[in-house]
Amino acid sequence: MFKYILESAGNINWMAIASLLTFMAVFIISAVMAFRSQPAFIDRMANLPLEEPNPLNAENDRHE
Amino acid sequence: MAQVEQFRYDNAIVRKFAYATMVFGAVGILVGLLAALQLVFPALNFSTAETTFGRIRPLHTNAAIFAFVGNGIFMGVYYSLQRLLKTNMYSKFLNEFHFWGWQAIILAAAITLPLGITSSHEYAELEWPIDLAIAAVWVAFGVNMFGTILKRRENHLYVAIWFYIATWVTVTVLHIGNNLELPVSMWKSYPVFAGVQDALIQWWYGHNAVAFFLTTPYLGLMYYFLPKAANRPVYSYRLSIIHFWALIFIYIWAGPHHLLYTSLPDWAQSLGTVFSIMLIAPSWGGMLNGLLTLRGAWDRVRQDPILKFMVVAVTAYGMATFEGPMLSIKSVNAISHFTDWTIGHVHIGTLGWNGFLTFGVLYWLIPQLFRTKLYSQKLANAHFWIGTLGILFYAIPLYWAGWTQSLMWKQFTADGFLQYGNFLETVTQIIPMYALRALGGTLYVAGYFVMLYNLYKTIKAGSFQAYEEAEAPARVATAGAHKGEHWHRWIERRPVQLLIGSTIAILIGGMVEIFPMVMIGDQVPTIESVKPYTALELQGRDLYIREGCISCHTQMVRPFRSETERYGEYSKSGEFIYDRPFLWGSKRTGPDLHRLGNKYPDSWHYNHMLDPTSMSPGSIMPVYPWLIEDDLDNSLLPAKIMALRTLGTPYAEGYEEEAIADAQRQADEIAARLRKDGIDGEGLEQKEIIALIAYLQRLGTDIKPAPQAGN
Ligand code: HEC
Repeated sequence: MFKYILESAGNINWMAIASLLTFMAVFIISAVMAFRSQPAFIDRMANLPLEEPNPLNAENDRHE
Repeated sequence: MAQVEQFRYDNAIVRKFAYATMVFGAVGILVGLLAALQLVFPALNFSTAETTFGRIRPLHTNAAIFAFVGNGIFMGVYYSLQRLLKTNMYSKFLNEFHFWGWQAIILAAAITLPLGITSSHEYAELEWPIDLAIAAVWVAFGVNMFGTILKRRENHLYVAIWFYIATWVTVTVLHIGNNLELPVSMWKSYPVFAGVQDALIQWWYGHNAVAFFLTTPYLGLMYYFLPKAANRPVYSYRLSIIHFWALIFIYIWAGPHHLLYTSLPDWAQSLGTVFSIMLIAPSWGGMLNGLLTLRGAWDRVRQDPILKFMVVAVTAYGMATFEGPMLSIKSVNAISHFTDWTIGHVHIGTLGWNGFLTFGVLYWLIPQLFRTKLYSQKLANAHFWIGTLGILFYAIPLYWAGWTQSLMWKQFTADGFLQYGNFLETVTQIIPMYALRALGGTLYVAGYFVMLYNLYKTIKAGSFQAYEEAEAPARVATAGAHKGEHWHRWIERRPVQLLIGSTIAILIGGMVEIFPMVMIGDQVPTIESVKPYTALELQGRDLYIREGCISCHTQMVRPFRSETERYGEYSKSGEFIYDRPFLWGSKRTGPDLHRLGNKYPDSWHYNHMLDPTSMSPGSIMPVYPWLIEDDLDNSLLPAKIMALRTLGTPYAEGYEEEAIADAQRQADEIAARLRKDGIDGEGLEQKEIIALIAYLQRLGTDIKPAPQAGN
């Protein structure tokens, strides 16, 4: 399937290969850094938007 | 522990941007509706220059993208940034400068685009003085944002802020890159790059305007407002990190998928395809992250219109980012490109993703700002359903229309002739689809006004608090990474590093894609017989740009038998080396014009421009009577010639002095031919139409055999 897509994309030269490799590097690095972070830290970050109370007890807050 | 500090969130600036969003959303979609109706009822062009389709369409796209979504971005950023960083904005002056500056730019666009002042680069139509103003306001926004980040009380930057930072950097780079132009006068300029290079840069920009204006800032908003509205944290913060880096890195490469099968070199096209397909992964990661945030809360989604809007928005994001890569596969693109399919695709993104997310945010934010409850949940629900129906009625007919028309373009009879040799047949076939699309647009507009009413009543009932008291512990400045700390935390505590990191990520793509093209001149093979435009043709070309013919006509014959049969020899990159700007276009509501020269006699064009239906009964092309009434203004001609020579067009030294006389000579010849065909008129040789005819007759003839007699 992937081979087909690549083929139908036409001739790929070294530049395309190089960019794919760079992307793989970016992807792997970001994945590694995401999964090596401590759970407590990730948790804290995920909850950042919710630290700030909504200024009014609107509809949204009643469902706690 | 640090001591607790008191401060106040600035809600006044948020309210300003919210109002601007509400107003310009209405303007943008109403102008869009007018454009949609013009394709069904050409009389709605009102026979007036300022209101014809070619000028209305850029007005619509600019209003929707930069006025509506732009203000929406700023509304969301100014609200969330302060709260995520636990501080107020850096500078009140910059708040005001940013707000009023942006609205002034919108006003300038609303005046200049209908006047036909345009660079013709799609979504970058505004002329150079406005481009400079945009740069100034954008920089003010950046300073204000980074100033706020630097004085923050929260050490860590939440992922939404990364998206804002990446947006800011990339838009800066794109805006500069695509607007390198040499001014001729206050309201006219020529781009530095020509032909293929101009095209590549334009679509590197065009695609990334979608990526970094319509997508990344809105992802930032999603990562903030969706958790707020649902009152639960995002599904996976880890996933959001990967989403961010993968997305900004890949997006920047995808631009060439707008230029498949064109004269762009193959390797650049391939790169565009491959990266576009890879885009599915991070995009869907982001979509799932958004949707899964609501896992276990679907009962609330059923009741809460805010969450409903957000769910549809995120789903539309997923659909559009699935469809986009599919459309980048060459075999699919061969069918979809230049048809209304693309218009359907982009509206899933704008109406669904941007529109619905904005509505969700507004329904959530306005009650917060005014400390009251939403006036009516019922009306919000009604808006939701009307809007959703509107999107479906908009997109499905256009998919149908695009598919149908494309197949008709490619249909051969058993004897090997084009089945629909007359292009117009393929247009009249889909007019009912255009009508349904306009109905979809009408529904969407109706829903929008329901929202405006609902928000108006909410605002009336509430009381606005411009400054909201808050408190947070002062930030403990952390010098250097402490031992064992993960390096990514180090990056993300330091906005400057994050800025540099994302700049590098996007520049790699930009450089690999563009530098070889721009730097190595011999990528574009020159063709001996291709000569610069004559003075009169140049004037005609600038009229073609002014009238926005590009919004319906392409100038790019692709190497398919169905196209070479219909139009003639396919387009070569060497033919465009004097084209500043390039005019390949992106949609064929009318036929391709690249091989138009010598196809018809001059008088045909004269009559056709005066009233297209006289030559092509049933045509939906607008009428252009003013081209026949107005005299051509040659005053800028010498300056134009000099500017183009500076950029590399080989006009002979001193040609600028003869240019006006030369133009008149050619005009006289054309006028004489018209008179021979029985077209008369006082001062015919001075009229704009003559220049336009000169240009149209030149198109594609450099490598086309001489006209056959009696054609
Ligand atoms: C709303 C879309 C639209 C706009 C804007 C538009 N056209 Fe057209 N044009 C059409 C359609 C549809 C046709 C096919 C029917 C016909 O011949 O009128 C067409 C046909 C033509 C043809 C005949 C091509 C051929 O090979 O038969 C020419 C020439 C032309 N247009 C020139 C222009 C110029 C110049 C402008 C700008 C001043 C312009 N058009 C703007 C839609 C448009």
